Amino acid sequence: MSWKRFFLRNHWDNERKQELEQHLQLEIDENLARGMSLNEAESAAHRKLGNSTQIREEVYRFNSLQFLETIWQDLKIGARMLRKSPTFTVVAVLTLGIGIGANAAMFSIADWLLFQQLPVRDPKSLVYLGFAQGPNQRDPNFSYPEFQELKRQSGELFSETSAMAFGGVGDQSGPDGLTFNGKTERAQTIFVTGNFFSMLGLQPYMGRLFSPLEGTAPMADPVVVVSYEYWQSRFYGDTTIIGKPAAINGHPVTIVGVAPKGFVGVTPALHMQVFLPLGMLPVEPGIQRDFMNAFERRAIIIVARAGTAMHGRQSHPLLTMIGQNVLQQHPRPDEKIIELRAIPLRPPGLVSGQGVNPLPLFAGLVLGLGILVLLLACLNVSNLLLVRSTARAGEMAMRSALGAPSRRLVRQMLTESLLLAALGCAAGIALGLVATRVLAGINAPTELAIRFDLAFDWRVYVYLFAAATLTGIIVGIVPALRLRRANLAALLHDTSRGATGSRQRLRNSLVVIQVAGSLALLIVAGLFVRSLQKVRNVDLGFEPRNVLNITLDPNQIGMSKTDGERFYTQLLQRVRALPGIHSASLAVMVPMGDTEFGGRIDVPGFAIPKGQPRPSANYNAVSADYFGTIGMHILNGRDITESDSATSDRVAVINQAMAHKYWPASDPIGHEFSVAEDTKHPIRIIGVVRNSHMIDAYSPIEPMYFVPLTQRYMPTLTLQVKTPRPPAEVAKQIETLVEELAPTMPVYGVRTMSEALDSLNGLFMFRVGAALTGALGSLGLVLAIIGVYGVMSYSVSQRTSEIGVRIALGAQKCQILALLSRQGVLVIGSGLLVGILITLAASKVLQEFLIDVSPTDALTYIGLSAILGLAAFVAMYLPASRAARIDPVVALRRE
Amino acid sequence: MPKKGAQPLQGEVLQGTLDLLILQTLLLGPAHGHTIAYAIERRSDDVLQVEHGSLYPALHRLEDRGWIASFWGTSDNNRKARYYRLTPKGRKQLAEQTSRWEQLVNAVNRVLRPASE
Repeated sequence: MSWKRFFLRNHWDNERKQELEQHLQLEIDENLARGMSLNEAESAAHRKLGNSTQIREEVYRFNSLQFLETIWQDLKIGARMLRKSPTFTVVAVLTLGIGIGANAAMFSIADWLLFQQLPVRDPKSLVYLGFAQGPNQRDPNFSYPEFQELKRQSGELFSETSAMAFGGVGDQSGPDGLTFNGKTERAQTIFVTGNFFSMLGLQPYMGRLFSPLEGTAPMADPVVVVSYEYWQSRFYGDTTIIGKPAAINGHPVTIVGVAPKGFVGVTPALHMQVFLPLGMLPVEPGIQRDFMNAFERRAIIIVARAGTAMHGRQSHPLLTMIGQNVLQQHPRPDEKIIELRAIPLRPPGLVSGQGVNPLPLFAGLVLGLGILVLLLACLNVSNLLLVRSTARAGEMAMRSALGAPSRRLVRQMLTESLLLAALGCAAGIALGLVATRVLAGINAPTELAIRFDLAFDWRVYVYLFAAATLTGIIVGIVPALRLRRANLAALLHDTSRGATGSRQRLRNSLVVIQVAGSLALLIVAGLFVRSLQKVRNVDLGFEPRNVLNITLDPNQIGMSKTDGERFYTQLLQRVRALPGIHSASLAVMVPMGDTEFGGRIDVPGFAIPKGQPRPSANYNAVSADYFGTIGMHILNGRDITESDSATSDRVAVINQAMAHKYWPASDPIGHEFSVAEDTKHPIRIIGVVRNSHMIDAYSPIEPMYFVPLTQRYMPTLTLQVKTPRPPAEVAKQIETLVEELAPTMPVYGVRTMSEALDSLNGLFMFRVGAALTGALGSLGLVLAIIGVYGVMSYSVSQRTSEIGVRIALGAQKCQILALLSRQGVLVIGSGLLVGILITLAASKVLQEFLIDVSPTDALTYIGLSAILGLAAFVAMYLPASRAARIDPVVALRRE
Repeated sequence: MPKKGAQPLQGEVLQGTLDLLILQTLLLGPAHGHTIAYAIERRSDDVLQVEHGSLYPALHRLEDRGWIASFWGTSDNNRKARYYRLTPKGRKQLAEQTSRWEQLVNAVNRVLRPASE
């Protein structure tokens, strides 16, 4: 009601005005009728009615909201004050803008990682099952029989249960290929049970999704549904593709539908492009048609919708029991299992089939740094405002003298700081949008369909609003509360005399905090950069220079093993015949690639130490010349050669780590081991190569062996060519050769080895991390410099007259400088000390993200403290030296 | 302009009484501000002098509460005037307030009359 009144008050005022005029007229008419003269009649009428303006004001006041009225007044005054000092306003708004913008960008990362829900029905009740193995660690992989068992027994706990299996990820194959119109391109596939889409409550964008009966029998339903995004990028939104034939890894299928827009599977980062019924899993190389009966094939992830019994809980006595039942039937001897749990699907989500999700910790770190930057910006502006509040003491005293209650003055100050924060927020949103655009534009160097889904959703805006409000209050509260306490009369006297002791102390402590925070930020950034450096300079154990990688996959066009082997042999011959090729070879695994291969091995004579898992090793299948091409030195024994064929003895070259681990006492050459699943075919060791970083650039090197490709064929291979010639030119020639041999063969991953090293497992994450924290650290540095400079120049300007007197009395320039510097150095020094202490306290968290660098790395600490100290000293020295040059006459006259 | 011996009670009308008087006046039918003021004066034999200055804010308040409604009309002497009429809600209020007023008057009377009676 009162709001309606409030907005209609001008209308009402107008009505009343007219009404009062009419009233006067009536009265005048009557007075005239009584025989008064017109003049008399008018003045009598006016007398009787009284002051009509006052009446209108009374009505108007009744209609207005006192509170709003004065806020509006405060805002107007605030805006006028900000306009009056544009330099201050611009600096403050930009500072806050940087702080809030950085925060917005950081929060949008955290938002994406932690909060964004899947675009499906009731996403909060979706869970995936996993055997918990420890805090935050679990094994979410099940076999098909285990899935059926779980589904059968857990009907009370879950209203619906479905299963899915990722195609190509972490299995013994590369990504899948989708052939359409004779052209093959890789696609991220996922195999789902028929009830998957209906469980998620999804409707097709076009065509149809799967029915519950599909996918229950092996290879029975050759149909695919493509994601909306893939449909757009691969088929350009062609509506006629429904019902058209395609092929997955050479197996014919029919495209039956397009998934709803925005649905790209249930994992946060990996974008699912093609959906197939679970029964189609055997299109994956290495998966047998009888996988539905294979207990050992644990490639299935169980996604379910929690019923009321499971609501809000991960563990349940019944679920624990079911887990134990399943474990009894299908034991997992190598795993330390606590119990079966139902983990919320998102957030934070499941990252492919891996048990541990590092994303929450990363998001926390990123957000923490963002908040630190904002805090520094707040301190800065708070400082500036404090300086200004002193300058405005006169104004405040005047207003107080005119009757403004101190409550009103405090509110005025807070309104102004909130206004600043609002402007800063606007600037921050603009900066943040730019920053997220840059972040989202980072192209993750991987063949997997990774996407950074950074958008400003409502959560980001809510966060920004909260941040801006808080900023406004934090920034304004100190100067505002000082006003409240201050004796205004004293303030009025104080203006010309300069800072009082306590005020100076407060400002000094703000600068201490600022320097400390900036240093903490800088050190974190520095540690990241040092990590990156260390990883960059690590001895990889091979020579990545002048090596070109090209990945090929005959499997994606359905080539048989024999055809594939023939294709590769011919290709290798022709490539080696090209001019300027030093050597060429094939390998299954690329260093720092998306896939790694490994498994348990059987080492006769090796006693497994108590509490250790059974022996295992990574492996790579390679052609002859591999070690020469990649520059990996054979330390002992012989190379793999053309004479190691499918029919000859099984052989392997092992790395130093493997030799050291399993044959510590003797020369491993001539010894034998075997793959755990195939102990009938022992593998004889023929050589030992240098340790090299193959999986990632930083982990300790694990045991690894290399077998001839002829003895372990795999379709997805990378051709590696050592040549001093320009890579693009050579790649072109090779692609022509491939096309001559197999016209539809997909060719991808054409990269130099150095480029290939900049991958998710390689340097990429460190580069991004270092760039991100480096940017934040630089912001911190800039903010610290502004802060120190602002406070010093203010404090100097307050002491102008004092300095003038000193100079007049004969003080030397250097004495003045020393006087002013002493205070500055003290403040900066304490700031640095506090900063170092803060960072040391946080070093435990940092440890998780650093490679080869101690979180208490002395060089980083000392170096960055020196840089920040120096910058702060310069920021302090400039105003001080200006003060030392003061003309005493001018300084004294100002008094 | 008091005609009889009684002194007019100017500006002493109890808070809230004016509302009651306005409502009562409107019970007879719609009227504009000028008429209301004079009607009250006349019906109280000029004892109650309505201060025109406070009449209009009171009318505004009553309208805001929804007890009376207003419309523009034409006065007897062919002038535009804002007329007020009682709403059903106002009618109910009038009944309530009248009884409360009577209670108040009785109570005050009881206090004023000597106990001996």
